[in-house]
Amino acid sequence: MSLLKSEWRKLIYVRAHWGLLIAAVLLSALGTGVTPLILENSRETFGFGLDQQQAVDSVYANAISGYIFAIIIGIMLMAGEFRHGTAVATFLTAPKRGTVLANKLGMAAIAGILVMVISTGAGIIAGLVGMSFYPDAAEPSSEIFLNTMVAAVVSGAVLGIIGVALGTLIRNQMLAIVGALIYLFVIDPILLLLWPDAGKFLPSGLITGMMALDINSPELGFDTSNYLPALSATLVLLGYGVVFAATAIATSLRRDVE
Amino acid sequence: MTIAIAFGDLVKSYGKFNAVDHLSAEVQQGRITGFLGPNGAGKSTTLRCLVGLADPSSGSAEIFGKKYRDLDNPLSRVGTVLDSRGFHGALSGKANLKVVAAAAGIPDARVDEVLQMVELTEAADRKMKKYSLGMKQRLALAGAILGDPEVLILDEPANGLDPAGIAWLRKFLRSLASGGRTILVSSHQLAEMQNTVDDVLIINKGRLIAEGPKEQVMGGDTLEEAFLKLTGGALS
Ligand SMILES: Nc1ncnc2c1ncn2[C@@H]1O[C@H](COP(=O)(O)OP(=O)(O)OP(=O)(O)O)[C@@H](O)[C@H]1O
Ligand SMILES: [Mg+2]
Repeated sequence: MSLLKSEWRKLIYVRAHWGLLIAAVLLSALGTGVTPLILENSRETFGFGLDQQQAVDSVYANAISGYIFAIIIGIMLMAGEFRHGTAVATFLTAPKRGTVLANKLGMAAIAGILVMVISTGAGIIAGLVGMSFYPDAAEPSSEIFLNTMVAAVVSGAVLGIIGVALGTLIRNQMLAIVGALIYLFVIDPILLLLWPDAGKFLPSGLITGMMALDINSPELGFDTSNYLPALSATLVLLGYGVVFAATAIATSLRRDVE
Repeated sequence: MTIAIAFGDLVKSYGKFNAVDHLSAEVQQGRITGFLGPNGAGKSTTLRCLVGLADPSSGSAEIFGKKYRDLDNPLSRVGTVLDSRGFHGALSGKANLKVVAAAAGIPDARVDEVLQMVELTEAADRKMKKYSLGMKQRLALAGAILGDPEVLILDEPANGLDPAGIAWLRKFLRSLASGGRTILVSSHQLAEMQNTVDDVLIINKGRLIAEGPKEQVMGGDTLEEAFLKLTGGALS
């Protein structure tokens, strides 16, 4: 418990972590709040409008878009120790590095859940506000809010864990964050284009699958039925986390601490 | 006498270079031992091996017959100040110590206590990166005594202290030692060490060159004279 408490203090004392939470809330709220407007103004592109339930659902599903910040917080919790040199104090206090890592993974899961629940909640509220300008729009499906919140909790935990695993593997914080961003927003989409069938096993495809959406937009080449079911997607994503963390324990966690 | 710290044929190599080269030595309990050697002699590397931050290439470094990693709640037995201090610049001195205290299961009240002992109470809530070198050094000392340990391992704790700070440190170490603690302290300030330590341990190029009670190693000279003779007077 004491290590978890220490990790909690590291989480809440560092102002940058609060900055990430605020950024996640803003991204999610703005993104979700303006989606109705975008959907309504580009019916041709998307092939559906707000008179359809799946369109309204996709508005609320956008509330989950802060997930990148869950990964970043995970990365910072671990790589930050090396960047600021606090790894020295951490490992002097708790020299069993595997135990430290286990507690960090736990705290990153909690941090990821908090970031995702708060930002997704803010996003849904912004979505409700945005939708209030379209009184003639379809009703959202009954499960969409619950599904989105469940996806927020699960993805927050999993992505926080993946972040820590990445941060352990790549000790350089900037490199790890920039690498994660480039991977998720550049490399992953390219791989998705090259091998559409493999796409559902790639992180962003898994994240989409994890959200259990039901959206079909042939115009965008986007059909959620191509993705893994939510549970399998979550398990595969966790599998990535386990592989990263295991590699980290076997390699970089054994290295000398400067 | 009881042995508090023992190095057994300790080797730490970086590539082909042995930063610590088959070092065997002992530190007696309840005494202040000065750990001396020219720049690059391998003092910091030895200490980092001792506290488990660096893995020895071969040999052993033990405290009370155990590897640091195998001590339960090590902070309650060993306090450490290294050249890399382990504190977060964006956090206050107090917040930094509270993070460590939580991990070691030490109550927060003890944080205020040690801050007072190192005379940092007024600066406790300021960001660590705004501290002067001497204040950072005091904060590191506060961290080392947080768990009220019986052994202190200090790598150049006088570094960056002004004359008043050095006098303060001397008193501070003596008061810690008078409570029966074991202190292993590295330093380049030999006149100061001559005043402070009971035993000395001198290394050069990773190898042990002298070990024992200060008077015996000095043999009538000052510590500085003895040191320069033993190390050939040159930097390694
Ligand atoms: N991580 C490392 N990688 C490679 N070489 C290293 C590393 N750490 C230390 N060394 C080398 O090991 C030798 C001993 O260094 P160390 O820092 O232990 O000396 P020191 O006795 O503490 O010196 P100083 O009095 O200057 O602090 C030096 O030659 C140094 O360059
Ligand atoms: Mg040194």
